[in-house]
Amino acid sequence: MFREKVELSTRYIAIIGNPNAGKTTLFNALTGLRQKVGNYPGVTVEKKEGKIIFSDGCSATLLDLPGTYSLTANSPDEKVATDVLLGRTNHTPPPNFVICVVDASNLERNLYLVSQIIDYHIPVVIALNMIDVAEKSGMTISSKKLGDELGVRVIATIASKKIGVDELKKIMQSNVTASLKARQWSLPKVVKEECDELQTMLQGTQHLSEADAFHEAIQLLTSPTALSEHLDRYAPELLEHVKKDHERLDILGIDRQSVFVESRYEWIKHVCEASREIKSQSFETTSDKIDKVLTHKIFGFVIFLALMAMMFQAIFSWANAPMEWIGEGFNELEKNVTALMPPGDIRDLTVNGALAGVGAVVTFLPQIFFLFLFLGLLEDTGYMARAAFIMDRLMSKVGLHGKSFIPMLSSFACAIPGIMATRTIENRKDRLVTMLVSPLVSCSARLPVYVLMIAAFIPQQKVLGIFSLPGLTLVSMYLLGLFAALIFAWIFKKTLLKSDAPVFIMELPPYKLPSLKTIIMHTWERSYLFLKRAGTFILGVSIVLWFLATYPKTERATPAEQLQQSFAGQAGRLIEPVIKPLGFNWKIGIGLIGSLLQREVFVSTMGTIYNIKDSDTQFSNLSLRQKMHDDIDPHTGVPTFTILTAICLMVYYVLAMQCMSTVAVMHRETNSWRWPIFQISYMTALAYGTTFVVYRIGLLLTA
Amino acid sequence: MEIFPRSLSETPVGKRVRIHQLESKPEVCHRLRELGFCENAIVRCVVNGEGNLICEVCNTRIGLNHSIAKEIIVSAFE
Repeated sequence: MFREKVELSTRYIAIIGNPNAGKTTLFNALTGLRQKVGNYPGVTVEKKEGKIIFSDGCSATLLDLPGTYSLTANSPDEKVATDVLLGRTNHTPPPNFVICVVDASNLERNLYLVSQIIDYHIPVVIALNMIDVAEKSGMTISSKKLGDELGVRVIATIASKKIGVDELKKIMQSNVTASLKARQWSLPKVVKEECDELQTMLQGTQHLSEADAFHEAIQLLTSPTALSEHLDRYAPELLEHVKKDHERLDILGIDRQSVFVESRYEWIKHVCEASREIKSQSFETTSDKIDKVLTHKIFGFVIFLALMAMMFQAIFSWANAPMEWIGEGFNELEKNVTALMPPGDIRDLTVNGALAGVGAVVTFLPQIFFLFLFLGLLEDTGYMARAAFIMDRLMSKVGLHGKSFIPMLSSFACAIPGIMATRTIENRKDRLVTMLVSPLVSCSARLPVYVLMIAAFIPQQKVLGIFSLPGLTLVSMYLLGLFAALIFAWIFKKTLLKSDAPVFIMELPPYKLPSLKTIIMHTWERSYLFLKRAGTFILGVSIVLWFLATYPKTERATPAEQLQQSFAGQAGRLIEPVIKPLGFNWKIGIGLIGSLLQREVFVSTMGTIYNIKDSDTQFSNLSLRQKMHDDIDPHTGVPTFTILTAICLMVYYVLAMQCMSTVAVMHRETNSWRWPIFQISYMTALAYGTTFVVYRIGLLLTA
Repeated sequence: MEIFPRSLSETPVGKRVRIHQLESKPEVCHRLRELGFCENAIVRCVVNGEGNLICEVCNTRIGLNHSIAKEIIVSAFE
């Protein structure tokens, strides 16, 4: 199964370990910046690869696998880790050897995974990580003794300080062919007999390797569904045999489910006792003390809400200055390009198409940067798991559990990582519900639309002395999305995707000071993706839109008439009857069509449309919001935008599914078109219906 | 006198108990065991509020909701 005698340069080394054991920190320490992030085909679980260059110039590829507690996969990301490790996939070659990261302060549970890896005869080196944390909590572990007990090399590491990293590299460089000891944990006699017998049968009939047959045998003996699931896979005699085994063990009063896990833990206990010395056991750690406050049923919730409020407040106030710089930068650029190029279609295309469109979107980079920075901070300090813990009570009211809250929180940044984050949810139906409602949470792509509309149309007024009306409007949009998500989760759980009350079991990693480097790298990756999209997709759309809004040219027409006669204008007017009940005219229609694929395109569309209008007159320094504000239909005298239209437009964007990338991710994650199509339909219907109601009520109130 | 066995959800904060039996569905039991909640393991309750509990098992903190904690039967340790 494992490739042997390979050139060093083509070596494939995988890092595996429990969640929170420090895999990614070690991965970063080993590879530095030579990383590549991609996806495993078929599933959207991040695939992180990096190159290690050794002292002699040779290199190897290092693969960071998703965290897993065992090789019996529970959730989709754990399944990826297991499949890659066991060489069961076509897309990734089986690793030549594995570095298993073990959290030294939590030896028992981490060794459970190690024992499974050893069972599969996978060449493994153990990185006994965070040895300093273990020592602080009063235990000394001898890596030599641990290695002797396990029969594998054990290197003590502190990944965050790069301690032990060179030694690990040396082992990777030298061709270690670890001579693994045979399986050391033992089963009760009766169970062992049955297991051995079944293993031999499987080796004979299914042509499995010894290790595979052993695990298959365990699976058949423990899993309550194994017999009914694999009817076609095994010979009837084998199934008959398994059935008899079940009966025999049940009569003897042996709990088939627990006996294997317990036997492993029995052995692990012995290994730990032999290699670890516990000097003092501190009962209440600092993390516990913090948890008493942060997960308190009242304070915890209040602190959580305060943190969220602070996050959004900070995003908007801090991002203001850099946003203005970028805006001014683009203005300058447009002016300079206008001055340099001769008048004509090419100049128009460059300035009013490309620059105006891309500029309108790039301006929002600072806010997106801060949003991801904050989410990264919450994740890296360990608070994110607590947020899930606190929110579990609220989420259970709608039938979901706390883990579903993390995807929703990530969806504030973008629904794509949000939907990807649902892969930690074990129950398929709960995962689907979370995926279906996550895009209702306001993502960063909606932010440009909100900010544009609020800045242009919501008056700067104080409410109750401390809150400002624009700020409150923005918060209400975010709350509207969140509540819609919760209500629809409840509806889906009651109707389409009924299942039992979910089970909330989640590890809460100790609090730690965030690693600035990790957070900055993560934030940079996300911001870069955003910029890349602005430079490719949005640039393309802006150019196409400029074309559609400029041609066919009409002789002696005013700019406004010209726009109305253009392809884009025609399309806008075509859908006008449909959107008229929502208070939108054909110009907003162009924006809606343009942003079908991506929400922030609405802003670049407005940027392009309103720049084209000005292009014949002298270069105008009016901001986009001012132009939108002043826009009045020359025939009817009705302004395109009013406060009510602005609110309706925002409500529409809160609820509508205007994002192609989300649809694509939904398709990949669910492996069907049924769910993404259902998602588009229900969200569009919801958006249309709600906006209609808001518009009608608004008309009644203003009449 | 305290009465054992009883459920983990009735364990007061700071108290250490031994896991006696798991009474959840098989797949939930399996998950619990993998996370360290296996029979005979020692568990300490760190937070036991109205909503959820935090327990220490194998030196890690695990958050659980009450409905599962009710299905974890514990016996006396100290």
